Amino acid sequence: MIYEQPKFCPAGDRHLLIEFGNEMNLDLNFMAQGLASLVAQAGIKGFIETAPCFASLLVHYDPEAIAYGDAVRELTKLTSSLGSPDDIELESRLFYLPAMYLDPWTKACIDDYCVNISKKVYDPELLVQENGLDDVQHFVRLHSSSEYWVVALGFWPGLPFLMALDPRAKLHAPKYNPPRTTTPQGALGIGGAANSIYPVATPGGYQIYGRTPVPIWDPTGKKAAFEGAMCLFRPADRVKYVPVTKEEYEAIDAQVREDRYEVTIIEYQKFSVKNYKASVTKLGSRSVARQRA
Amino acid sequence: MIEVLKPGLETSIQDYPGRYGYLNQGFPASGPMDSWSFRMANLLVGNPSGAAALECQFLGPTLRFLHDTIIAVTGADMRPTLDGRRIALWTSTLVQEGQELALGAAVLGARSYIGVAGAFNNEPRLGSRATFHQAGVGGFEGHAIKRGQILPTGTGSGIPGLTIAEEKRPKLSTDGSWDIEVCRGPNDDWIDDAGHERFLTTAWRLSGKSSRTGFRLEGPEWTFTDKAYNKPEEHGSLPSNIIDHGYPLGAINLAGQTPIILVNDGPTMGGFINPYTVPTAAFWKLGQAKPGETLRFKLVSIEEAQDSAAQMTALCGPGSLVGI
Repeated sequence: MIYEQPKFCPAGDRHLLIEFGNEMNLDLNFMAQGLASLVAQAGIKGFIETAPCFASLLVHYDPEAIAYGDAVRELTKLTSSLGSPDDIELESRLFYLPAMYLDPWTKACIDDYCVNISKKVYDPELLVQENGLDDVQHFVRLHSSSEYWVVALGFWPGLPFLMALDPRAKLHAPKYNPPRTTTPQGALGIGGAANSIYPVATPGGYQIYGRTPVPIWDPTGKKAAFEGAMCLFRPADRVKYVPVTKEEYEAIDAQVREDRYEVTIIEYQKFSVKNYKASVTKLGSRSVARQRA
Repeated sequence: MIEVLKPGLETSIQDYPGRYGYLNQGFPASGPMDSWSFRMANLLVGNPSGAAALECQFLGPTLRFLHDTIIAVTGADMRPTLDGRRIALWTSTLVQEGQELALGAAVLGARSYIGVAGAFNNEPRLGSRATFHQAGVGGFEGHAIKRGQILPTGTGSGIPGLTIAEEKRPKLSTDGSWDIEVCRGPNDDWIDDAGHERFLTTAWRLSGKSSRTGFRLEGPEWTFTDKAYNKPEEHGSLPSNIIDHGYPLGAINLAGQTPIILVNDGPTMGGFINPYTVPTAAFWKLGQAKPGETLRFKLVSIEEAQDSAAQMTALCGPGSLVGI
């Protein structure tokens, strides 16, 4: 649900967290991103930076320049001036990312976790169980059928938080307990109903089930697809996974290493929230549709 | 310029407060873990308190100076020597061209800071010289210092023989136990009363699996309120699972049943709850605590935490300097 009034949570002496709701949907993400933009534009003294995510905004402020209570008042004012997301129509790049599902590298990582940290169900199997799917092939078909919305970047530089745009592909899973101490670079993960791609080898808590050979993080900022940035993605981009075999994965990986792989990016599309919502209504579907695929 | 003869254990260039402004791309602030000792190292050598200096962890580096300058070593005691002769901590010292500064293993505390007059002038990345070692960003060539590197420094005008009044230095624990201030929130309403009570009365053991990305704590299991169980499936089914959200620096992040304090190079966002946050003024203690030592947490209000941070900043000013 979307809260009637955003909830302000103090978070230490320099941060506060604003929660707009308790679920994942585009409206909540637009509220978080929208408020982040308003804070940046308003130039209010004492606000240093913000981090929007699915349904919340973390605000980093300087308590010597603005008191907590004043920060809450200013942010409440800005929140009330947020417009309706239904009118939003924006440029949205679409990335086709090759991905090997059920790959040997994430499997080795899970096996290692089972031996050294804690025994658990193989991640793709767990996804099948949690979502009432037929088998792992069903998972692959369903998962690769949707586009994924880049909600925000965070956790690690360049890591995208993604949300399935097709409600039928909105899968969910518990997070690792305890988290992994490492994850292969390029691993694809699901935690809760959030999706992600690990930009480098990092600790992690999502269930992992596949891997992309395409780098999404470049500290040199020199790779063409990055347009001078260190992070491949920006919020409001979309990602579509293209399942590939191990041979295809390795061929692309070699091209990446030789710096001759070209990322497929579609840049001529606009994303209309109104049209998107109309299409979802037409589907009339609930979270997971077993009839699909 | 300074030549690295031995790098020590992940010694890195940091500045204070670090890399602000890139949280929405996933960059943590980085910067020194003990900003109290760090700022005083700069103060002693005549630099702005946030200027780039070295953070040494557990085992310090050996450095050869290629020019005359003024240095100061603060924080943990790594028994610093200059050409084999002990030099005093918390004191500005003249170093001549060709001399070698060597820091050993920490005998008290965990992190030492080396300030150099004129500071390090490595190329800033995204507005900061701070090293985010694991991502290869900032610092010198993106990482902790390496043997054989020549670290660039500016020219300064420090004065030798300055020191910090004893009572103005941080008091490092000598018995391996630390009292750490914490503020409630942002997700304190996910933990039940018994869970809060347990958190605040336990002597938590700092795990060996701790680094500048996170400090893992070992202790009892957590218990939760209804909110942690009755929630939409988007959160993930375990009680500590929440829809991914921004993490404040210092968050006590409950990953499954393992609390991890998210420190300077830690993750900026994720899907676990943060029932408590360690405020700025308590961070120096985390920076000086060693694995195996115990941490006890003491609740303070947001206002108290903010006052303490302001007091620490005032303390890191010229009023704390005395001549010998």
